[in-house]
Amino acid sequence: MLSHVGFREVRWGRQVDVFSGSKHESDAKEFDTRGVTFAGVKPT
Amino acid sequence: MVQQVSPAKVDREQLRRQISKKYTDVALDPGKGFHFHTGRPLAMMLGYDPRDVDRLPASTVASFAGTGNPFSMGRLNTGEMVVDVGCGAGFDTLQGAMQVGPSGRLIAVDMTAAMREKTRAGAAEGALGNVEVRDGYAEDLPVEDACVDVVISNGVINLTPDKVGAMAEVYRVLKPGGRFQIGDIVVHREVPQDAKDDIDLWSG
Repeated sequence: MLSHVGFREVRWGRQVDVFSGSKHESDAKEFDTRGVTFAGVKPT
Repeated sequence: MVQQVSPAKVDREQLRRQISKKYTDVALDPGKGFHFHTGRPLAMMLGYDPRDVDRLPASTVASFAGTGNPFSMGRLNTGEMVVDVGCGAGFDTLQGAMQVGPSGRLIAVDMTAAMREKTRAGAAEGALGNVEVRDGYAEDLPVEDACVDVVISNGVINLTPDKVGAMAEVYRVLKPGGRFQIGDIVVHREVPQDAKDDIDLWSG
């Protein structure tokens, strides 16, 4: 999706089990949901 | 790693109202308890530098909600023009404003009035005159074309039914060579269409 929009040099950071211990934990686990940070560049 | 997904069939205006109501609670009553983590414990889970967090107003930290750490992909540079999409309480906005310094600028966009007020109050408390708060949506940013060095966002794109449209807005406002650094969520198992269409699951 990001490359489709036009971004390049897309990088992904570490994933975090961000809902662990929260009220949303069971729903999040059902779909193996993770928090993640990503970055990309608009070409020149 | 990320699957291309079919769009959700939700009423966008209803979804916005519901999400805005939820995040008004996060702004005004952060200790209420939510289906997601908030505040300093969340910030530590996401790897924020405790020294950066300690520099923020306590009320800003208390109402922090996010799913990643945009600054884990690199700190901002002095003088950069930055947009924070869905700034919430201003947790990332204020850190970004400190990083870019007085010669830089942070435009913080959020659709929830209580969050915008919280960001304004935090910027005032921190004497950060380089923060400007605007009312707007991720899919229709109140920002001119190609004028931004960096777009940051945290836990917001997943709340928009039109994710391609939201990222296209990020692309539109960035200068050529500009970058985005976004925290969000990914799912590794396909979400059934009926779950995607259930508006209650979007905002908890």
